Amino acid sequence: MNAIARILYDLVARILRTVDLPLLGALLALMGIGLAVLYSAGGETPRLVIAQGARFAVGLAAMWGLSRIPPTRLRHWSPLVYGVSLLPLLLVLLIGQGKHGNHWINLGVFYFQPSEVIKLSLPMMLAWFLQREPLPPRFHIVVASGVLIAVPFGLILLQPDFGTGMLVASSGVFALFLAGLSWWWFAAAGAGVAAVAPVAWIWMLRPYQKDRILTFLNPESDPLGTGWNIIQSKIAIGAGGMTGKGWGQGSQSHLDYLPEHTTDFIFAVLSEEFGWLGVATVLALYLFVIGRCLWIAAEARDGYSRLLAGALGLAFFVYVIVNGGMISGMLPVVGIPMPLLSYGGTSAVSLLAGLGLVMAIGAHRPRHAT
Amino acid sequence: MGPRRRQLKNAYAEAMQFRRRAVIAFLAVTLALAGLATWYFRLQVLQHAEYATRSDANRIKPRPVVPGRGLIFDRKGRVLADNVPAYRLDVVPDEAGDLKKLVADLSRVVALTPEDIERFDKDRRGRHGFRPITLKLRVGEEEAARFAVDRWRYPGVELVPYLNRRYPHGDVLAHIIGYVGRIDEADLAKMGEVDAALTHTGKTGLERYYEEALRGKVGYEKIETNVEGRALRRLGQVPAVPGADLRLSIDLDLQRAMVAAFEDHDGSAVAIDPRTGEILAMVSLPSYDPNLFVNGISHTDYKALMDNPSRPLFNRNVLGGGPPGSTVKPLIALAGLDSGLRRPEDAVFSTGEFHIPGQRRGYRDAHGGAGWTDLRKSIAASVNFYYYKLAYDMGIRRFDEYMRKYGFGAPTGIDLAGETSGVVPSPDYKAKRTRENWYPGETVIAGIGQGYWVATTLQLARGTAAIANGGRLVRPHLAASRRDGYDAPWTPLPQPEAPHITDNADHLRAVQEGMMGTMQPGGTGFSLVRGAPYLMAGKTGTAQKISRRGGASVDPHQLPFHLRHQALFVGYAPAENPTIAIAVAVEHGGFGASTAGPIARKVFDAWLLGTMPEPKPTNAVPVAAGTPPPAVAPAR
Repeated sequence: MNAIARILYDLVARILRTVDLPLLGALLALMGIGLAVLYSAGGETPRLVIAQGARFAVGLAAMWGLSRIPPTRLRHWSPLVYGVSLLPLLLVLLIGQGKHGNHWINLGVFYFQPSEVIKLSLPMMLAWFLQREPLPPRFHIVVASGVLIAVPFGLILLQPDFGTGMLVASSGVFALFLAGLSWWWFAAAGAGVAAVAPVAWIWMLRPYQKDRILTFLNPESDPLGTGWNIIQSKIAIGAGGMTGKGWGQGSQSHLDYLPEHTTDFIFAVLSEEFGWLGVATVLALYLFVIGRCLWIAAEARDGYSRLLAGALGLAFFVYVIVNGGMISGMLPVVGIPMPLLSYGGTSAVSLLAGLGLVMAIGAHRPRHAT
Repeated sequence: MGPRRRQLKNAYAEAMQFRRRAVIAFLAVTLALAGLATWYFRLQVLQHAEYATRSDANRIKPRPVVPGRGLIFDRKGRVLADNVPAYRLDVVPDEAGDLKKLVADLSRVVALTPEDIERFDKDRRGRHGFRPITLKLRVGEEEAARFAVDRWRYPGVELVPYLNRRYPHGDVLAHIIGYVGRIDEADLAKMGEVDAALTHTGKTGLERYYEEALRGKVGYEKIETNVEGRALRRLGQVPAVPGADLRLSIDLDLQRAMVAAFEDHDGSAVAIDPRTGEILAMVSLPSYDPNLFVNGISHTDYKALMDNPSRPLFNRNVLGGGPPGSTVKPLIALAGLDSGLRRPEDAVFSTGEFHIPGQRRGYRDAHGGAGWTDLRKSIAASVNFYYYKLAYDMGIRRFDEYMRKYGFGAPTGIDLAGETSGVVPSPDYKAKRTRENWYPGETVIAGIGQGYWVATTLQLARGTAAIANGGRLVRPHLAASRRDGYDAPWTPLPQPEAPHITDNADHLRAVQEGMMGTMQPGGTGFSLVRGAPYLMAGKTGTAQKISRRGGASVDPHQLPFHLRHQALFVGYAPAENPTIAIAVAVEHGGFGASTAGPIARKVFDAWLLGTMPEPKPTNAVPVAAGTPPPAVAPAR
């Protein structure tokens, strides 16, 4: 009996050897909350919950699998992975499908979203590229890194998918930041954006994007048109109060006032049903996840591991702040899901896979500095 | 191993550099998420009340609950007006899109008359586009089914159940009950927003007079709706108060008997219980089918009613009237007694032609000289001479005063809207109408109920009832009692104190005897009593509706048909203990005893003996041309 328990324990320990348990705990908590809110938002039928649970299972499997790969091997493959992952981005422009553009490739079994892969491969590529030279990166390295970021970013913008493009680009920028990129670069970039913004407004942004920005500035100006989503979302959030209306009691989502309430706006459902306490709890969990990634990164012994783990962790932050800000009217509407809460997409899988890479870095830390 | 390094890396410095940056990043992330949490705190806690209100406003919509209109019963509890379930088509213009196309499409599924579309277009103007507007009432079962199959093709169109007013006895009671009609802009302005959920309102008759009571009170349900406005569940309600039911004093059988007694004649009649003022039967003929008006009458039907020279829509009892002729003599006789000018036994010698002293012109009796005539004989034999002289002796001022006391020249107060006052001849009235002086001769003819007189059948019936009941001028009324709710008790409607027309019972007795004399040998109505097992009292009359215009005499035969001579009869029975008083006016009916009297006799028989006259279908058929649609849409 004791022996069996011991064998079982050993087996589990071996399986979980590469898994960071605090991180996994926080993720499981988030996933549990996500499924609970989804059950309510999805009309209290298990259909969406089962589909989302299946995605989580795939994601967790990917996380586990990737966590077993030594970072040295990851580093070795990084340029190849990056190069290969650009191909579907090109392909999706030709044969892709989607509501507002070409976002997915139909693989028969499921819809493949090429931009999800680049979310992992770009930080890998940059981490590899930056750590080859002494840090902080020198000028020509920064410029070359900019090209590495700009190529996938440009391809994603062509789909067009500004939200994902921004996520991808920001993960690259985070890698540069963590590599010690001079503050002057950020100052220059800020000035550049300010200069380009009017030009972009006139020639680059699509009408729906302009609408979103105008709506953000004054949602009440068009309460039945583009402002509707934000107004209804704010009503849902505000009506939640401190403790919320209770699970399954959110009238805004249950009566369909809240649009997209299983996907982009699911955090509003959580806000309505669980109140500010629920919001604070979830934000605290996200903060823990990000902090844990940064901790693992800081503990890593080589530059590649540090940059990759840090960039992936901070990418998580972009999801949360953009989605959480957008649905509450703090930021313009950008189609970015709430990680592990929003239904659908392959983002859950890619997020978990990314965290698998972080876990790999944590698990394969050499005992002694080299 | 990576490619060969071109420069030596400082591993420690890089690690420290990373840690610094990681700490900065973590602090920035913490700050940003704290900012987000603060932002949510502002929305969720500080502004919670505002958003909670808006959330409720989103989902909870008040929906009016239309009360059932009060039912109307006859004195024996038979239904005279009720409600039947029906369906109507409502359109919300904002949701319907192209209305012209919609109407065209819908007309392929349901029968839309030009009147429906005209009405719809009119209603649409000046109303909010999000409010449903009725396109068609009383949608048939087959039409409803056809619509239901194709309903997805008509956004913003809904089949709404409602209660449709029905008058099962149609034209028999049209002038009593009246009808409800579609609410128009003027009605809406009067009723206010609260009752905008109602579709119908009383337009004429009791339906109009008792509108407030019959209508009830619109209630509200708080309905939780989803974003498309579909009702999901009821959260609370202010219940609708159903309209009060009315119980009339009308006896349906007697009403039918009265209609039948008129046979083909036009005219009006009122039967009153003299003890209470309860109207037992009241007809104005020709009549019409009130059901035609409930859902909007068609142009052809309306034109037919309007073009009919006998004016079926005209309620002769309350709106009409004419000279009372000899039927007013009993009351003039009473005035003679009460004024002290005559005693019952005082007799005048009738020469058959009365002369105002010093004037050549003579005022004749139809039957020539009657010799010595006392009060009883003057009534029984209808001796004009007696009344020419009495009126002349009394003078028009006093005459006017007494006639007003008997209820002429003022509305009787019946529970119907728009009652006419009638006219009692007086210099004031003449001066107002013609700016001419009063001639003594006009006083003389006023004494036989001619000249400037206008009295309604209702006023005559009431005056007769006052003679019958011992002098009380009761208020004639149709609705006897009401109940507020199905299981509530019937409560009698309050009636005003009846003023007395005389203090002297002997005077009244003399007049009563005169009226009984009418029905005895030598009386003008003796032919009417054959075979009656009860005693009657009465007075016949014949009146020219217009005898003179200004000073000139008018040839009755050149008058429009409806203005020609009227045959009149007033009376009550049983004479010693009256339970019914009646006034009958038959248009162009010739002599009172020959047409109006027999009608009264048949009504008496029906009331006292229960013998119904042979029904003649001619009066029961609606006057309007065209076949009326079925009054009731099949329920469900």
